[in-house]
Amino acid sequence: MDATILLVEDDPSIREVTAIGLRGAGFTVDTASDGQAALDRFRAAPFDLVLLDIMLPRLDGLEVARAIRKTSTVPIVMLTARADTIDVVVGLEAGADDYVKKPFEVPELVARVRAALRRAGRQPDDADRLRLGPLTIDVNGRTVDRDGREIPLTRTEFDLLTELARHAGQVLSRDVLLDRIWGYDYLGDSRLVDVAIQRLRAKVESDAAAPELIVTVRGAGYKAAR
Amino acid sequence: MRGIRARLTITLVALVAMTAALLGIGSYAFVDNRLHDQVRADAERQAKFDLSDLVPNLGLPANPTAADVTARRVLQTFHERGIDVFVDVGSGEPLVLDVYRGTFSAVPSELKALVASGHLGYAWTRLAGIPVLVVGGRASPGGPAFYFIHDETGLEQTLDVLRIALGGGALALILVALVAARLVARGVLAPVEAAGRAAERIELGDLSARVPITSRDEFGSWAERFNRMAAALEETIQRLERSQAQNRRFVSDVAHELRTPLTALVAEASILREHLDDLPAGARRTGELLVDDVGRLRTLVDELMELSRFDAEAEKVIAQPTDLVRLIRAVVAARLPGADVELTVPDTEVSIETDPRRLERILGNLLDNAREHAPAAPVAVALDTADEAITIRVDDRGPGVDPDRLDRIFERFYKADPSRHGGSSGLGLAIAAEHAALLGGELRASNRPGGGLRIELRLPVTGSLRDGDPAAMGGDDREAQSIPPQEPPR
Repeated sequence: MDATILLVEDDPSIREVTAIGLRGAGFTVDTASDGQAALDRFRAAPFDLVLLDIMLPRLDGLEVARAIRKTSTVPIVMLTARADTIDVVVGLEAGADDYVKKPFEVPELVARVRAALRRAGRQPDDADRLRLGPLTIDVNGRTVDRDGREIPLTRTEFDLLTELARHAGQVLSRDVLLDRIWGYDYLGDSRLVDVAIQRLRAKVESDAAAPELIVTVRGAGYKAAR
Repeated sequence: MRGIRARLTITLVALVAMTAALLGIGSYAFVDNRLHDQVRADAERQAKFDLSDLVPNLGLPANPTAADVTARRVLQTFHERGIDVFVDVGSGEPLVLDVYRGTFSAVPSELKALVASGHLGYAWTRLAGIPVLVVGGRASPGGPAFYFIHDETGLEQTLDVLRIALGGGALALILVALVAARLVARGVLAPVEAAGRAAERIELGDLSARVPITSRDEFGSWAERFNRMAAALEETIQRLERSQAQNRRFVSDVAHELRTPLTALVAEASILREHLDDLPAGARRTGELLVDDVGRLRTLVDELMELSRFDAEAEKVIAQPTDLVRLIRAVVAARLPGADVELTVPDTEVSIETDPRRLERILGNLLDNAREHAPAAPVAVALDTADEAITIRVDDRGPGVDPDRLDRIFERFYKADPSRHGGSSGLGLAIAAEHAALLGGELRASNRPGGGLRIELRLPVTGSLRDGDPAAMGGDDREAQSIPPQEPPR
C-alpha cells in the first residue's frame, strides 16, 4: 500500500516511533509537530490520510480537523489521550472519522489506518439513490437531501446512514456496524457507534429525542425505519 | 429534652399548686373562724340580753305552761325581731314556729345538757335543712329553756362564695404557672435545641454549623467551647481534605504526565516485539523483558488513571439490560482461556439493569486476582440469584488471606503477600470495589472453609443507580445518558 500519511504529533518520541511504524508498514509519512505546521503541510501537498493528535501547540487538533474538513474529505484519525465519550463526540463532530486511544501499539494503529483508507477508497455501489422517509441519499454524489435541502454529513455519518438505509427494516448490531463502517475485524468500542448515531440523528431527524428514521432496538442495535 | 421540659413544668406547677392550696385553705379557715366567732359572740350577747332583759318582761309566770307561752305570744314576739326560738317548758314538745316545728330532736344533746345544767350554750347545726346557730339558756333557774335559732344561710353563702373564689383563684394560678413553666422551659431549652440542631448538622457533614451564643451564662460559655471545637474540627477536616485532594491531584497529574512517555514506550515496544528475532542472542532476552515491563507499566498507569477518574467523581453509570450468564461466560472465556474453571450458573438467562462494561471490569479483575494467587489451580465462579440481591462468587484455591487483613485487600496497593512480586499492580481489587460501589453493590472477601479466598460481588436487582439513572431506563437510548445534548453543526 503506497498511501501518503500526514502525521501530526507534538511529542518527538511518539512522532518518530509512529512514523517508523507506519513506514515499516509501507506508508509514506510526512510529519508536523503543531497544528499550524500541519495545515501548512496539508495545503502544500496531497495526503491520503491525516493522523491527528488532539492536544497540539498553536492550533489544536480539533481546529485542524475543522479546517481540513472545509476543503477536503480526506480520512482523519484522531489520536486521543482521553477516550472519554465526550472527546469522541467532539472529535467526530470536528470531522474525524475514527480515533485511536493513547497509548497504542503500532500494529493496532496500522490496522485502523488501513481500515480508514479502505473505506475512503471504497467504490460506491450500483444503487445510486436511496430513500429513507423524507431523506434522499445520492450514494454516488455522497449527498443527502431533506425536502430538497442538502444536509451536510461527515464521511462516517454518510456511510452509516447509507448502510442503515440500504438495510431498512433490518436490525444491525453495534458490532456489525463497527465492522462495516469502521472496518474493525475485532471487538472495538461500540460507543463509537452510539456516538455517531447520536450525531447523525441530530442532523437528519426532525426530533433527535424521538427518532423516527433511525430507531434503537433494545438490546440488539439500530435499524432504519422502512 | 422532652424530659427536662416535663420535669421543669411539673416542678413549677406543683410548687405553685402547693402554695395556692396552703394560702387558700389557710385564708379560708381564718375567715371561716373569724366569721363564726363573730356571729356566735353576737348571738351570745343577744341571748344574754334577751334572757336577762327581754324574757322577764314577757309577763310569763315563774313556771309557765305551754298555754302561757302561747298566750303571751312569746314565739311571735321573737319572730318579729328576726329570731326564732324553741321554748322548752319542761313538759311536752318544746314550742316553736312552723318552719322549725318538730326539729328539736336535731338540736345536739350536748347543748341540751349544758342548758339543763343552767349554762348558756351554743351549737352550729342544721334544722329543717337550714344552717343555723342555736344558742340556748334559761332566764332563771328552773324556768323554761330558750333556744334561740339564728338563720345563718347568709354566712354559709358568703363562705361558699369565698370557697369558689379561692378555688378559682388557685386554678387560675396553676394555669398561669403551667404557661409560665412552658415558656421558661422553652427559654431554657432553646439554646439546648439550637445546640442539638448544630450537632446534627455537623453529624450530617455540614462542618460550618455553629451554636448561636445568646447569653453570657454557663450555657453561653459552653456554646463558645462547642463552637471552638467545631471550628477546630472543621479546620482539621479541611486540612485533611486539602491534602487528600492534593494527593489525588498528584496521582492524576503523575498518571497524565506518565502517559506521554508511556505512549512512546508502548509504540516502541510494539515495534521491538516484531523485531526480537533480529536481535543478537544477548540482547533478545533483555528485549523481551523490556516489552513485558512496558506492558506492566501500561497496566499500572491505566489503573492509576482509572482510579483518579473515580476520585474526580467523573464516572457515569450507563445501565442497560444485561444477561449475567452470558456476560460471566464471556469474561471467563476471555480472562481464563483454557483454565480449569468450575462454572455454576443457571441454564436460563438472568437479566438485570446494570452497566455491563463495569461488570466486565469487576469480574475480570476478580479472575485476574484468583489466577495470580493460585496459578494453575481451578477457579470456581458461581451466580446465585436466591434472594433480593444477586451474588457472583469467585473462589480460588490459593493460600487465602489472614482474617485480620481480609478487609484491607480492597485498599489501593495492598498486597496480601508483600513478598510476591507478581504482574499485578495491587490496584485491581481496589478498582473492582470502586466499580461495584458505582453499581450500587459491594465486594466482600472471606476465606473458604476448604482453603482459598472467596470474593463475592453483591448487586442490587432493583433500585436506582448513581447519577440518578433509574435502573428501568438505560438500554433504549443509552447514548442519551452519557452524552450532553449538543447543537448539530452547520
